[in-house]
Amino acid sequence: MFKPSCALLCALLTLSLAAQAPLGKAQVLPLGSTIPDDPAIQKVIDPLAAEIKASFDLPLVQAPQGLLRGRRGEENLLGYWVADVMRTAAQGTVGKPVRFGITNAGGLRSNLRPGLLKVADIFEMMPFENELVVVELTGAEVIQVVKEGIVRRGGEPCSGVKARVDGSPEQPVFVLTWEDGSAIDPAETVRVATTDYLYGGGDSIPTLRKGRKPFTTGITLRQMLLDQCAALAKAKQELLPPAPGRYTLPVPILEAIRDKKLKL
Amino acid sequence: MNRRAFLASLGTAALASQVPLRAQEGPAAASGRITLLHTNDTHSRIEPFGPGNGAISGLGGVSRRATLVRQLRQQLGSVLLLDAGDTFQGTPYFNRYKGRLDYQLMRMMGYDAGTLGNHDFDNGVGMLVEAMEAMEQLQHANAPFAFLNCNFDCKGAPALQKRVRPYLVKDFPGVRVGLTGIGVAFAGLVAPKNHEGITWRDPYESLRPVVKRLREVEKVDLVVVLSHLGYNLNGTGPDDLHLPGQVAGIDAVIGGHSHTFLETPTRVPQAQGETLVFQVGFGGVNLGRMDFAVARGQVRAASGAAMPVLA
Repeated sequence: MFKPSCALLCALLTLSLAAQAPLGKAQVLPLGSTIPDDPAIQKVIDPLAAEIKASFDLPLVQAPQGLLRGRRGEENLLGYWVADVMRTAAQGTVGKPVRFGITNAGGLRSNLRPGLLKVADIFEMMPFENELVVVELTGAEVIQVVKEGIVRRGGEPCSGVKARVDGSPEQPVFVLTWEDGSAIDPAETVRVATTDYLYGGGDSIPTLRKGRKPFTTGITLRQMLLDQCAALAKAKQELLPPAPGRYTLPVPILEAIRDKKLKL
Repeated sequence: MNRRAFLASLGTAALASQVPLRAQEGPAAASGRITLLHTNDTHSRIEPFGPGNGAISGLGGVSRRATLVRQLRQQLGSVLLLDAGDTFQGTPYFNRYKGRLDYQLMRMMGYDAGTLGNHDFDNGVGMLVEAMEAMEQLQHANAPFAFLNCNFDCKGAPALQKRVRPYLVKDFPGVRVGLTGIGVAFAGLVAPKNHEGITWRDPYESLRPVVKRLREVEKVDLVVVLSHLGYNLNGTGPDDLHLPGQVAGIDAVIGGHSHTFLETPTRVPQAQGETLVFQVGFGGVNLGRMDFAVARGQVRAASGAAMPVLA
């Protein structure tokens, strides 16, 4: 009986494990409106879709003052609320202090007008599926992130930090502290709550991309906001805007930002 | 294209694709063909994307996918419907129904197998198992579909362990297909409490013995990996593009996680033959299709006309 040598056996085994020539036809089939609905599946979905749609009209919480993004030069109190909710949710998720939170004003698509908020209002304000991400940055990097937001948009909505710009547009002096007024240690490593969009490089805050140990929570910002509204209503509280004062930017500085003349 | 034209094109495509490679009936068939239909990262997109979503506005929807799959199955016969994970999270449907609806609809559509993505753990192992149970308990003619993964050690989560199998073999006339699945590392993606009892293992090392078993013991003709690693991590971690170079013997990688829109599969050469790596975006916008033909134990090129399905 023929006994293959060890080398031959190995070669045979390798051959048998190698992929063949799978030169197959392949294509992408876009699922467009020309494809009719499946009646059996649609029969299941229809009542659930109606239920979901009805839930959009559900009342959430009273917001007597509304939460507004602010016009140019005004503070974005809606954004501050979103950043606060992000930071709180991040702390709850990772179970450790999260010192700073930042989102992007461009991602907040509408104001929350005064009155009774409905689920649809949160969806309109936050239509994206952006998720909460927690990363680690040094204090120096947090300062740089805030500065980049100021130069680009007059300050992206943040939580945990206060920023002031002194000096002139030609020679700006950035003064940043933690929210309680204490100094930011440039060497200290802190946790930062942000979105997968910003961490991925969206909206040009490049230093955020340096975030280390990223933790993708799987929680959408919108769901966080819905949950927060529901929690307030359950506690019989109103949704009120956070206090202003996180960004203090004099008019000449604001004008320089508008004219894209403010440099770091 | 209107519906009539669409249906007509289906018929033509099926005729063209079936006649030349018509499989012989019976277990001793020497040749056959198989079509892999696949999705990834559907993210609870039960309904089509609404307006305001750019190029994907109006696309997708489970109901349409069901129609397309049913028609292709009727026309082609040997079809596997597969998913590469992240079925959960993304719309109010998930928030309300916790993934139970997604898995039940997948069973109704006739999915054969899926793998687990990081977002499928978003509500923890307990809720994931509940969604699987709801799918199993559905009264429906279609059998429950299989969950495939070979790099999650689920010893500490017995309810999940008994529902996740390392591989699956499916027989079709003239073609024996081996399927397995791999998942992305939990670190940074899944909170520790949400994957309690499950340990992630290196996907390349986990795959090698499974592929070897499929080839040498199960004697499959075609090896298909459902991967939730992501298309290309540029060397920072295991990914679909580097998988064929690390694990010999894989014919097709159906990928997910990175939401990569590929128009055609990437052909990755191997020492023997090549591996097709495919991924079709996210949200059920597209259905991927790969056809393979086996003749006398060798995977050969499949014939078949293109089947345009225009939005």
